[in-house]
Amino acid sequence: MQKLENQIFSSYLRNPSLFDEIFDKKGDVKAVYQKLFDLYGAHSIKDYVKLNEKAKSSFFNQGITFQVYGGKENQEKIFPFDLFPRIIDSEEWDIIERGAIQRSKALNLFLWDIYHDKRIIRQGIVPMELINSSANYLHQMIGIDPPGGIYNHISGTDVIKHKDGKYYVLEDNIRCPSGVSYVICNRTALKRALFGVFNHYQTYTVTNYAENLLDLLETVKPKGVDVPNCVVITPGMFNSAFYEHSYLAKTMGVELVEGRDLFVENDFVYMKTIKGAEKVDVIYRRIDDLFIDPLEFKPDSSLGVPGLFAAYKKGNVTLANAPGTGVADDKAVYTYMPQIIKYYLDEEPILNNVHTYHCSRPDELKYVLDHVHELVVKPVDEAGGYGISIGNRLTKQEIETVKAQIKDHPRKYVAQPIMSLSVHPTYIEDTESFEQRHVDLRTFTVLGKDREFVLKGGLTRVALQKGNLIVNSSQGGGSKDTWVLKK
Amino acid sequence: MSLAYSIHYTAENSYEHWVHKADWQFLIIPETNATQKFVSVEFSNSINAVNQFSINGYGFPTIRIHPKQQFKEISFEASFKLIKKEVNPYDFKSHSNTAEAFRKIEELDFKVDFESFLSPTPYTAMPSKYQEIFRFDSRITIFENLQELNHWTYLKIYFKTGVTDVNTTVNEIIEKRHGVCQDFAHLFCAIARLNGIPARYVSGFLHQGNGYFGDSQMHAWVEAFVPFVGWLGFDPTNDILAGTNHIKVSHGKDYKDCAPLKGVVFSKGSNETRHTVQVLGQLQQ
Repeated sequence: MQKLENQIFSSYLRNPSLFDEIFDKKGDVKAVYQKLFDLYGAHSIKDYVKLNEKAKSSFFNQGITFQVYGGKENQEKIFPFDLFPRIIDSEEWDIIERGAIQRSKALNLFLWDIYHDKRIIRQGIVPMELINSSANYLHQMIGIDPPGGIYNHISGTDVIKHKDGKYYVLEDNIRCPSGVSYVICNRTALKRALFGVFNHYQTYTVTNYAENLLDLLETVKPKGVDVPNCVVITPGMFNSAFYEHSYLAKTMGVELVEGRDLFVENDFVYMKTIKGAEKVDVIYRRIDDLFIDPLEFKPDSSLGVPGLFAAYKKGNVTLANAPGTGVADDKAVYTYMPQIIKYYLDEEPILNNVHTYHCSRPDELKYVLDHVHELVVKPVDEAGGYGISIGNRLTKQEIETVKAQIKDHPRKYVAQPIMSLSVHPTYIEDTESFEQRHVDLRTFTVLGKDREFVLKGGLTRVALQKGNLIVNSSQGGGSKDTWVLKK
Repeated sequence: MSLAYSIHYTAENSYEHWVHKADWQFLIIPETNATQKFVSVEFSNSINAVNQFSINGYGFPTIRIHPKQQFKEISFEASFKLIKKEVNPYDFKSHSNTAEAFRKIEELDFKVDFESFLSPTPYTAMPSKYQEIFRFDSRITIFENLQELNHWTYLKIYFKTGVTDVNTTVNEIIEKRHGVCQDFAHLFCAIARLNGIPARYVSGFLHQGNGYFGDSQMHAWVEAFVPFVGWLGFDPTNDILAGTNHIKVSHGKDYKDCAPLKGVVFSKGSNETRHTVQVLGQLQQ
């Protein structure tokens, strides 16, 4: 551990075995961060405490909160915001952006295929279990051509930087990815607190997300519609992401509705207004598949609109994202992403996938058994983190147990190298100082008909507990403003 | 020769308190296919709500009702007239090479083509202890195996109402050994699928007056895909093949895809539902 000389970083403990986003291996500030480092360093930690309080209250006053489920009472909390931004230079960003588009397009083609001819399965590139053992494969979607040919209009690709300095994708979220409103609010909050720092960097704006989303949603309007009427549908104000739903509707300039505000007549969707019924053409839905139509899916759902799926099947309304996209963000599909990209686009993956060893293959099984101590071993069919063993935290005896389990049921297990997320200096309230914390990045990609948009920025999530690798808001994570620099 | 059918369906619902919001979907209109030709559809309800003709998620015709006024009682009435061509279920060109048929069902392309009707569903998932309950015999044709299965299912379960309900799974059916047409059909589907034969759950009407089991309400049977032949109908409730007496409405993976009536009703207190089905057939020259 080394100490640094800078007012604000005077007590910063740098662990050289971790990849630090702003310091290089020798402990020098990276060029792109130098100006920011100097600017922040000119403040005292006391100023910083004050600014931090200011930013927090700004979030509360704007009502940017989320719900924590469980516990005695549901609580409204603010998503902790860190005043020290993350910078991504234009070269690195270029890789992320091209990679995110590539993955989103490949997943879209994969979805089209598995709901039509299923060529990729017939040719033996991915196993049939990807669809027939997935609860998210919706047979009702077979043969439907979604307007514009788009299934995953909005994708949230989660990437991390490993200790080798390269970006890896951890997850593709293509159901209803959330978090984009925080990206925009983080920018606003940072501008309010420390306006001056923006003068020294050429940073891309993030406030253009809503207009681009609306533009692209309009390109996938149903046939025969001239100017489409778009709405955002929310499960309601008790949903943890309700703030985001209302924010997006407001900034797109469209109505925010609940299921009960819509009805279906003769397979067209209408919104109830004080001036009478108004036809709806494009629905950005933030309700899960099984809740969108109680007559087709879950009958006890009061969130959806009866008859909505029939209207969709007849091509009279666009749903974004399309129902049934969840099948493509299953863990099992992730492991085949390099093959999926190659198959549909004939390209090499731009962003790395965390390599996955399938214990069902004899040579890979041997490697896994020899390297259990440095791998994460996961059962393929369990969700929610059950049965996962992390090699470097196991005792010798536990390693033998895991080996025995794998030998008994090799088909049941896959293994991945242990990834080490990069760290970023983060202000920690308890110690009133900057400390290293693990970060990831959620990017937002929007696909339209023959056009796409990636938000130049993203949600950098921070694991606020020391050493914790889980960077989720419900697990006590925070976030940072993320700057993408112009060339 | 063919049969002229006239089918009459009623459903009566009464609620203890006023109902302000309700949606219903009926999946009861007979399918138009090679052996079924439509003459007329009449549909009405007691509160004059608009009848919307639409489709379900698998493209079968439905009728949806969304009353715009409050009610305590509502009844629905449907009348269908259709011509059913005489069906001889044995009238198909049998494929002579049994081994080839058994090889066919092992092919990846075949498994992909029929994925929907080969995978288990919550209703038809067979617990591991019963995986071997009925194994197909590769020395006889697939059609003969299916006939054996039809007979086996018929003997395995006793037809009795009130023992099972719309949520009963094959595990319970095997253990209780009693059930209605839906349970016979689920058990048949589960076993055919275990043996690699695509099987789909069929919902429809059954000619009354021949003393068949399950003719007082809507009926359920099965269609199984025989390689090199096509889909053939089996009625395990009655140990017969589906023929001129069976009027098909829809098919799906299981009951859930074919429920004749789905309702989303926001009401308090108790409610009662009564259904009646009348199926009259008349010979036509």
